Amino acid sequence: MDIELICLLAMLGVFLLSNLLLKLPVSISMVLGALAGAIVGGEGIPLRHLFEGTFTYVDTMLIISSAMLFMTVIQESGALEALNSVIVTHFYKYPALMLIMLMLVIMFPGMITGSSTAAVLSAGALVAPVLLLIGIPKEKAGAIIAIGSIMGMAAPPINIPAMLIGGGVDMPYIGFDGPLLLLTIPCAVFSILFLGLKHCRNLDIEKLESGLDLEVGKKYGFKLYIPILALFVLLIASKAFPAFPQIGTCLIFLVCAFIGLFTGRKFNFWEKALKAMDTTIPVLAKLMGVGMFIQIMTLVGARGWIVVSCLSLGIAAVYIASFTVMPAFGAISSYGAASVLGVPFLLVMIQQGRCSDIVVASCLSFLCCLGDLMPPTALAGNYAAQIVGLKYKPVLIHCIVPFVVCIAVGLAVMLNSLTFA
Amino acid sequence: MKKRIPLNYITAAVLCVIVIVLVIVLAMQFGLANEKEPIYPGPGVTDMKMLSTWFPALAGTNGDTEVYILDSGVEGASMLVLGGTHPNEPSGFISAIMLIESCQPSSGTLFVIPRANNSAFTCTDPQEAAPMRFTIDTNNGTRWFRFGSRATNPTDQWPDSEVYVHASSGQQLSGSETRNLNRAYPGRADGNFTEKVAYGITQMIQSEDITITVDLHEASPEYTTVNAIVAHERALDLATLALWMVEDDMKISVEASPKNLHGLSHRELGDYTDTLALLMETANASQGRLHGRIDSALVTSGVDKFYARAYGYGSLNVDYPETGISISERCARHITCLKEFCEVYDGDKGLISLGEMPSYDEIIRNGIGHYLSDPQ
Ligand SMILES: [Zn+2]
Repeated sequence: MDIELICLLAMLGVFLLSNLLLKLPVSISMVLGALAGAIVGGEGIPLRHLFEGTFTYVDTMLIISSAMLFMTVIQESGALEALNSVIVTHFYKYPALMLIMLMLVIMFPGMITGSSTAAVLSAGALVAPVLLLIGIPKEKAGAIIAIGSIMGMAAPPINIPAMLIGGGVDMPYIGFDGPLLLLTIPCAVFSILFLGLKHCRNLDIEKLESGLDLEVGKKYGFKLYIPILALFVLLIASKAFPAFPQIGTCLIFLVCAFIGLFTGRKFNFWEKALKAMDTTIPVLAKLMGVGMFIQIMTLVGARGWIVVSCLSLGIAAVYIASFTVMPAFGAISSYGAASVLGVPFLLVMIQQGRCSDIVVASCLSFLCCLGDLMPPTALAGNYAAQIVGLKYKPVLIHCIVPFVVCIAVGLAVMLNSLTFA
Repeated sequence: MKKRIPLNYITAAVLCVIVIVLVIVLAMQFGLANEKEPIYPGPGVTDMKMLSTWFPALAGTNGDTEVYILDSGVEGASMLVLGGTHPNEPSGFISAIMLIESCQPSSGTLFVIPRANNSAFTCTDPQEAAPMRFTIDTNNGTRWFRFGSRATNPTDQWPDSEVYVHASSGQQLSGSETRNLNRAYPGRADGNFTEKVAYGITQMIQSEDITITVDLHEASPEYTTVNAIVAHERALDLATLALWMVEDDMKISVEASPKNLHGLSHRELGDYTDTLALLMETANASQGRLHGRIDSALVTSGVDKFYARAYGYGSLNVDYPETGISISERCARHITCLKEFCEVYDGDKGLISLGEMPSYDEIIRNGIGHYLSDPQ
C-alpha cells in the first residue's frame, strides 16, 4: 500500500471521526484531518503549509461576506418584500411561466459571477419568500434555490470550472456558451417544474395578497430598487467593458449595500450586520479548512494518488470517474475538482482524440459544478437551507432527483460528442 | 458530549495571543521569499541594467528586474533569454543563471532576464504545497534558489476579476490568469502591474532591436505541449533548423504558435515586434497534479513514482522514467537549443554565437551545478 494512500485514509478518517463522532464543526474537523495527514506523512506540523492553504479561497470568502451584508440591507430596507409582491401579483395566473422566470432570476447572479454562493445569497434570498408564499414547502424551496444557483454557476457567460479546466490545457474560453446553455437550461427548467409546479397550480390571489407587504413598495416606490439595479449594472459593466475600473465583486456588493442604507426603511445596520456575519463565519471557516486540507493532500502526495489511481483504471474508468468521483470531490471543493481532476481527465480524453474538446470540457465543468451540492461542505445546499430556515439535510434530499437528472444529461452530452466528433 | 468552551474575554484574549504569536512566526518564514538568491555575473557579462531603463514606470516597484548584457564586442545579431517568467518552472530560471555565470558569446549580444516576473518569486501558490527554496550542488558547495509562484504576488496586484480580458485581443480567460506574465503580452503602459512588466519587456525588445527572443518554461508532464519548441510563424524556420541539429540528443517537437491564443510571448512578441519569438517547454513534475510527496528533491531530481506509473498507463505525452527527469537534463535541453538557435540563425542582422558551451551530454554528466559559479 502506498504511503500516500495511508496519509489520505488518515486524513479522511480523522476528519470523519471529528465531524460525525465528536460532533466538531466541519472546519475544525478539516484542520484536524490536515494535521493528521501531515504527521502521518512525516511533515510534523508544517505551519507554513497549513497557513498558506487557508488563503486559497480568500477572494471567495470576501465576496461571501460582502454579499451577506448586501442581502441584509435589501432585506431590512424592504426591497425584497416589495419585489416579491410585484412578481406574484403580475404572474400568478401562469404558474409554470412564473416558476421558470423565478428560476432565471435565481441563476442570474451565478451566471455573472460564476459563483453558486453569490447566486444563493443574492437572488436566492430574493426569490425564497416568493416560493414559500405560493405554497412550495420550505425544503423544496431550498432545493430549488440550491439547484438554481448551481445551474447559474455552470451557465454562460461565466463558468469558472470551465475556465480552470480550459486554462489547464491552454484552451481559450471561447465557444463554451452553446454547450453550457444546452446543459444548464433544460436541467434548470426540469428541476423547478419537478419540484414546484404541483404546489402552485391553483393560486388564490386574495390569499397571496394577504401574505404580502404591499405597503412598503408604495411608500418608497422605485427608490427601493436602486441598490439591486446598481448591483446588476456594476456587475455587468465590470464584465462587459474592460475599460471599466475593476473594483472587484466584493467592493461592488459593499457599494450597493451602502446605497441601500438610504433607499428604504431605516434599521440598525450595526446590529443586523453582526447577525449576518455570525451566520457567515462557519461557512468562511469551512472554506479555510478545505484549503488547508487540499494543501496537505498535495504536500504528502495524496492528491497525486487520487489522480493517478483514476488514470490507472483506463479510459473507460476516467469517463466513469468524471460523473462519480468528480462531483463527489465537490464535497471538498468544486473548483478543486476542476483543477485537480478536470484537467488530467480532459487531457486523457483529448489524447483519445475522438471527442470535441469544448463540449467535453463543458460537460466536465458542469459535473464539477454539481459538486457544490455534496455534503459535508455543500456550499449551495448549505446556504439555500439557511435562507429557508432549515438544516441542509432535508433540502439535500429533495435535490437528489434533479441532481441525478443533471448527471445523466451531462453524461449524455459528453458521450454524444464522443461518437459524432 | 456537547461541552462548550466558554465565550468570555479570557478565552478571547488567549486566542488573540495565540494568533499574534503565529502571525509573527509565519511572517518571518514568509519573509524569506523576499530575499534574493545571489547571482554571480561571469566573465561574459559586460553590463547590467534594470528593466526600468526601457520603461521608467517600473523603477522602484517589485516588477523592476535585472537585465544582464553579454556583449561579445563583435557586431552581430542579438538574443534575449527570458528565465523565470513562471518561477514555479525552475529549469528556465537556472538555465538563465547558467548563461549569466558561464557563457562568453563570441559574436553578437546576449541579453538575459533571469527573473522576468520578479514579483512572482516572492510568493508560492496556495494548494500547490511547493517548497519555498530548492538547492543545487556546485563544485564548491550548495546553492539555494527560490521556487515561486506562476503568478504575480497578490500584494503587488489584487484583486483579480472573475474573468481576465486580454487587452489587445479581447480574449477571455479565467480570472486567475490576470497575474500571469505569459498572458499579458504585449502589455500596456497604463495597464495593471503584470501588463506593465510585459510592456517593459516589449519596449526593451523594440528599442534594442532584439533578433531572437526565447522564453524558457516548463510544463507538467501530463500537459499537451511539453518537450517542445513553440514558434511564432516568422520563427518557424529557425526552430525547425535547430530541431534538425538537436534531434540526435533529445526527443523534441516544434509547434506553431496558435493564432487564437493571445497574451503569450510567442504570439504577441512576434506580432508586435520584429523579434523572432520562441518558447520552450521541458517536463517538470513539481508543478504537475500527479506527483507524490513534494519537496526540494522532487524539484531537482524529478524522481516521482506516480509520474512513472502514469507514463506506464500511457497518460503522459513524455517518456517519464523511474529515474526521473532531473533539472540538469531539463537545463541541458534549454541550453542546447539556445545554442543551436544562434548557430542556425542566418538573417540580415549578422551572426550570433554563444561561444564555447558544454554539450548536452556534458551538462547531464557533470550536472548543471558544475556550470554555476561557486559560492565563496
Ligand atoms: Zn510556464
